[in-house]
Amino acid sequence: MRDLRYDALAELLLDHSVRLQAGDVLRIEGEAVAGTPLVVPLHREAIKRGAHCYTALDLNGLKEILVAEGSDEQLEFVSPIELRELDFIDASITIWSELNTRSFTRADPDRRQRQLNAQRQFSIRRRDLIASGKHRWCGTLSPTDGLAQDADMSLEDYEDFVFRACHVLDADPVEHWRQVGERLQARAEELGSVRELHVLGEDTDLSVVVEGRTWRAAYGRQNVPDGEVYTSPVETGVNGTIRFGFPAVFAGREIDDARLVLEDGRVVAAEAAGGQEYLRSLLDLDDGARGVGEIAFGLNYEIDRFTRNILFDEKIGGTMHMALGMGFGALGGQNRSALHLDLICDLRREGEVYADGQLVWQNGQFLHDPQPARSAEHVG
Amino acid sequence: MADVLVGFCAAVREGDLVTLESSTLAAPLVREVYRRVLRAGGQPLPRITVEGLTENVLKFGNDDQLDWVNPSRADDIESADVRIYLAAPANTRRLSNIDPARHARYDRSTEPLRNRYLQRAAAGELRWVLSAYPTEAAAQDASMSLAEYEDFVFGAAFLDDPDPIARWQEFGEQLDQVADFLTTKREFRIVAEGTDLRLVTEGRTWIPSKGQENFPDGEIFTGPVEDSVEGEILFTYPAVFNAREVEGVRLRFEAGEVVEATAKRGQDFLREMIAMDEGARRLGEFAFGMNRAITMFTRNTLFDEKMGGTMHLALGTSYPETGALNRSALHWDLVCDLRSGSEVYADGELVYRDGQFLNGTGE
Repeated sequence: MRDLRYDALAELLLDHSVRLQAGDVLRIEGEAVAGTPLVVPLHREAIKRGAHCYTALDLNGLKEILVAEGSDEQLEFVSPIELRELDFIDASITIWSELNTRSFTRADPDRRQRQLNAQRQFSIRRRDLIASGKHRWCGTLSPTDGLAQDADMSLEDYEDFVFRACHVLDADPVEHWRQVGERLQARAEELGSVRELHVLGEDTDLSVVVEGRTWRAAYGRQNVPDGEVYTSPVETGVNGTIRFGFPAVFAGREIDDARLVLEDGRVVAAEAAGGQEYLRSLLDLDDGARGVGEIAFGLNYEIDRFTRNILFDEKIGGTMHMALGMGFGALGGQNRSALHLDLICDLRREGEVYADGQLVWQNGQFLHDPQPARSAEHVG
Repeated sequence: MADVLVGFCAAVREGDLVTLESSTLAAPLVREVYRRVLRAGGQPLPRITVEGLTENVLKFGNDDQLDWVNPSRADDIESADVRIYLAAPANTRRLSNIDPARHARYDRSTEPLRNRYLQRAAAGELRWVLSAYPTEAAAQDASMSLAEYEDFVFGAAFLDDPDPIARWQEFGEQLDQVADFLTTKREFRIVAEGTDLRLVTEGRTWIPSKGQENFPDGEIFTGPVEDSVEGEILFTYPAVFNAREVEGVRLRFEAGEVVEATAKRGQDFLREMIAMDEGARRLGEFAFGMNRAITMFTRNTLFDEKMGGTMHLALGTSYPETGALNRSALHWDLVCDLRSGSEVYADGELVYRDGQFLNGTGE
């Protein structure tokens, strides 16, 4: 049955995220069975906007067969047809809608990694096109029982949660996200003049030098839902201790209640209540894995709980997160690694953040509104 | 079924690029076909559709959108070694209320793709197989329960045989014999209730269809000499095209062209389709259905045209490998039951009566 919330999400994705125009070519990617509730309205609304639209849909269970049975050549196959698609598409939307988030848990990790690496060739080429302004992309989610199960919810409750977080039940979702953009742009600009942040929380006392780095606002262009500001800190400027109260889920495995000690931007001690060995193995992945690639504040207050999905978790309103590994070159980050492990620190109860000695954040909120953005083109 | 599709019909080999087109309803079969393509050393490229996308374009698209050809589909047809298509509809009448002119325009836009893939297939560069996965919608069209329809589909595919591939090979040899026999004939006359039709096939190739491109299969077809068709034919079964049904179709031909077309139901649609283009009023195919496991009409051309004891004609485009020349955006198969009270004469000699060839071939 038609669910108008999916129609509203489709319209938000087309009008705000990828700003689809008549004549554009849009590619919709996802899984056919679970993606249908969003794929069909998204395709319909794209057609109504005069765009050419087609789908590139997978079927659940096929990749599992490939990883289990494929030869080396089949595992590492990159479809030349798929790569050539990037030559004519203007925009693409990826819909994540796993029916079973653990379907690869028992697969050979090396074989799975090789299959993922092959699959990634497409997104790597697309990332370059996005960076050079030749392509617009957004990743979003369509609720499934599998995702609801990871969030300890019924599917109905999970749908409510997702649509609230996307603000598609608002009278004018596009206007909501435009305003979020304005606010977060101003916040990012303000943080751009900060030299050093000092984060205090439960078992957390960390100083982070961000001087000279660019902060970026995320407001529904490349992710829906969205709501964070982030940068890459100065590589040698992270010192102290931090405790990540939420589990981190990485490649289908969990790291619970991680505690890190950092000196001059390097992790020198790591403990975790669960998955400690796994955490340490990740830190030894390569030279950059012990460095910090990202520091960010989650500012979507409709996301009020942990759901084991990084698209939502890193945006939980009142949290900050830090990623070990790969930094953002465009924001000034220089750390390089094959790892990008997001770890989330809950600052909602005891948290305080000082910017160059001045208290700016308490109990999960910035204490004052940011100055309005100085120029409109940042909001775009 | 997956074993036969991959091992026999498409005969997937090491290194083949195999597009696998279907809908979510066929998921169990898609997974098994995918697995067998991998095992055969091919590279499966799934192309899964969901219900409603074509409807979106036909309902809401402007002319520019109706005419658009997806470059990646063209790339598929250009690059693939094998194309496996598994039909699995959720609702065969989803597009019944679409304006036929818009539908025809949309069909015309994909005609170059169709021509290109038929061309590559005829040149032996692209192997393809069209098959069907039983769904409730298809069962409903056949007036059966899903369980009955599954039995029907798997029976028609000889999957109840202990060695289906051996059975198809044996059946193929029988069809070869009939094709050889028909090739020796110059002119045909079909006489049945409401039907007295003459056509010439001299110089054309009769092709036995043995399970390589359609599955299930079982027919022998050619393309008649374009201006040779004379007389009248009454089609026993309803004809379904673009989700619309036409019943009681009667056509009269003069010098290969339809000069009179009537139907008990859907006459306007019939006439609109025949007027689609120059080739739509000529025949592109003349064929005998030879699969005796298909005994009833199910509103699905894949099965209906192979029904043992029937013949069919197609208005519109022909298959180049038969030597036929007619070209059109239309290819509409119309089936005529010959199982009782009917006779076929070849060069004046009675060769077929009440659904059987008289010389014992094809049995």
